[in-house]
Amino acid sequence: MLRYLLRRLFQSIFVLIGITLFVSFTIRLSGDPAVAMFQGASAPTAEQLATIRKQLGTDRPFLVQYGAFLAGLVHGDLGTSFRSGQAVSSAVASRFPATLALALTSLLLSLALAIPLGVIAARRRGSGSDLAIRVFSLLGLSFPNFWLGIMLILIFAVKLRWLPPSGYSGPDSLVLPALTLGLILASTTTRLVRSSLLDVLGEQYVTTARSKGIGEQRVLYRHALRTALIPIVTYIGLQFGALLGGVVIVEQVFAWPGLGSLALNAISFRDYPTLQGTITVLAIFIAAINLVVDLSYALLDPRIRYA
Amino acid sequence: MKKRILALVAAAILGFAFAQPSGTLTIAQAQDPQSWDPIDTFYLAWGMIGSSIFDGLVHRDLNMKIGPGLATSWEWTDASNSRLRFHLRQGVTFQDGEPFNADAVKFTFDRLLGPEGAKGPQQANYTSIDHVEVVDPYTVDFVMKSPDPVLITKLAGYGAMIVPPKYVTDNPPETFNKMPIGTGPFKVTEYVPDDHLTLVANPDYWGGAPKVAKVIFRFIPEPSTRVAELQAGRADIVQGVPISLADSVSKTAGVKLEAVGSPTVNALRFNTCLAPTDNLKVREAIAHAVDAQGIIDSILQGYGIPIASFQSSMSLGYDPNLKPYSYDLELAKKLLQEAGVAAGAPISIDVIGTDATNLEVAQAVASELEAVGLKPTLGTHETNTYYNDLVPKNTVGNLYYSGWGGWTLDFDNTAYLLYHTGQFWNPCYSNAKLDALLEEERATYDQAKRETILQQIAGIEHDDLIDLPLYQSKNLWGVADRVQGFVAPADDRNDLTNVSVTN
Repeated sequence: MLRYLLRRLFQSIFVLIGITLFVSFTIRLSGDPAVAMFQGASAPTAEQLATIRKQLGTDRPFLVQYGAFLAGLVHGDLGTSFRSGQAVSSAVASRFPATLALALTSLLLSLALAIPLGVIAARRRGSGSDLAIRVFSLLGLSFPNFWLGIMLILIFAVKLRWLPPSGYSGPDSLVLPALTLGLILASTTTRLVRSSLLDVLGEQYVTTARSKGIGEQRVLYRHALRTALIPIVTYIGLQFGALLGGVVIVEQVFAWPGLGSLALNAISFRDYPTLQGTITVLAIFIAAINLVVDLSYALLDPRIRYA
Repeated sequence: MKKRILALVAAAILGFAFAQPSGTLTIAQAQDPQSWDPIDTFYLAWGMIGSSIFDGLVHRDLNMKIGPGLATSWEWTDASNSRLRFHLRQGVTFQDGEPFNADAVKFTFDRLLGPEGAKGPQQANYTSIDHVEVVDPYTVDFVMKSPDPVLITKLAGYGAMIVPPKYVTDNPPETFNKMPIGTGPFKVTEYVPDDHLTLVANPDYWGGAPKVAKVIFRFIPEPSTRVAELQAGRADIVQGVPISLADSVSKTAGVKLEAVGSPTVNALRFNTCLAPTDNLKVREAIAHAVDAQGIIDSILQGYGIPIASFQSSMSLGYDPNLKPYSYDLELAKKLLQEAGVAAGAPISIDVIGTDATNLEVAQAVASELEAVGLKPTLGTHETNTYYNDLVPKNTVGNLYYSGWGGWTLDFDNTAYLLYHTGQFWNPCYSNAKLDALLEEERATYDQAKRETILQQIAGIEHDDLIDLPLYQSKNLWGVADRVQGFVAPADDRNDLTNVSVTN
């Protein structure tokens, strides 16, 4: 187990280097932050641009800049934002709770919907409720999240006035953005719960359990569902990355001050350090989630052991 | 009766004397500039709020008229216009109690023109100033390096806003970026990046205490969400209502839509180094083929104003006698024939693809060019790449979109940067006569003379078709009925001192 963990951690280092190298390189292809500062202003002279590039350190060769970023990263220093002059690490730290709250709430909401719906659909396969649940999944798959977000705002905030349309002001402001992400995630997870459970219900050990006279509820929840959850946990681990990607759009729609809006603004203003820092932290986070997911298999299925 | 009038007058006086700032005003705007230091940014989003926190030596009001600000008067001390003397307002303090005086003015400009200012984009706008000298505690001299006829206007905002020397020096730069202090009518009490900024009334403001006690600026990038906040009654004023939602806002009960002509004008620039738009006849044909009024009526739903040169009617250099090219398809076809352009000749149009309105306008133009026998292709690009890479390197098509303006409301800001030979954003067009005129208007402080020259420049722009001006934008604001005294600012710089709210 420990050897496995160490091997995985060692691999993660290379993944991180790959990601940071890619991000640092591509954002530098997208434009000069010194020029971006002058947008709509009076024309910069060559000397003014040179001064600003020197101040920002963007006049150095790419590998030198990247090396400086890595050296800082080892010490927990993500650099200074070109735009706000703040330490990127403190900006990321202050935004992280908002994004985490949104991502976790969406995830829990999606599970709270997907597991019961998936179980019902699997148990009553081919019935009217199965059909209704499958239609719900298909609808969720076809809605783009920004559209769903705006629709939810129009219904629950503008028409009914039950909830605030946007912002980060309290638990009630979490409902609509979490619902937007959660509903879409729930639709795919429901399909997976249904099909996974149907597979497991056909397994021999389930038949054995049933033949032993164990009650159907107990067979379903103690024996079958637990095994059926393995692909679902894998899926959620993978989905977490996609969820954080969805957060970028949803945060924009709901003016949610998290990592997504931080990254998006950093791109439009060519704020290299902020973008590098945000992506690095997200990458570390996603790598950690995936590790936890892999380790959790052993808990769910006694047949799985790590060497 | 007399008694009654007396009582009313007395009540009014008492009411006035005891009028305390009251109520909370919530404003939703798209962008958070991230740093509130006046020398750091050039974003309009900064001006929307910065003008409530800081003051300049001069003040420009909502009618765009220049008057006294932190300086009560100013004059040149010599005939050669090398020294501009400002007499400062006395008894003014910064919001933290620090006194405003000549040292604060000198500190502000030393900082703007020195290494600190070199880190940001504002310094470039004030390089005509050599340095500032303190004459006495309430008098300063601006010693000029080169003539700058737009200087007075530029002292009314952005980089020239006066900052408190002690607060700036005693704290690390991040502190001033996040919690700025000025002499303005409102003081910052809280700032959460990308979420909101809270201002409270400065009761000691030299221009009189504001009427509203608290203003919350919320940063909401998505236009539909901003409008939803207004319609849900949670925002009182929203900036940047998109044309597509204008109708929905005007139909909402308790809310009104305000449209104000902005300094920003929109045009298609011609690439005069690329065939066939290197030929004036072809440019004339295109000008006659495009129905700008039709674009304003349909795509902009009337929220645009026709223009004949690349400036709005607010700009110095605007000539009301200059008329746009007529919409005349037959003439356009004839001109193309004379120019020897065969039917089906390709013509490329480049545009910023992320702006829905620009894209629709470009599509309309493309279909009109198709109607006169050309074969247009449309290229779409991202804003930054477009302005900072494609345009300066002239790797654009025959026609390319440009939005320009500038809060100084002076045609020089556009004309010099876009028409003078060798400018960053003008990699192609060159006209010796125009260069001479541009240099001449820059060298004099005689505004009447400048106006004549700038109008001449607009005439050359029009006749030589350096660009094809399309329309002046109108900025749309949504305002709740509980708000009184709000005037949508043409230059986006809010003045909230006279705004009040009812409950």
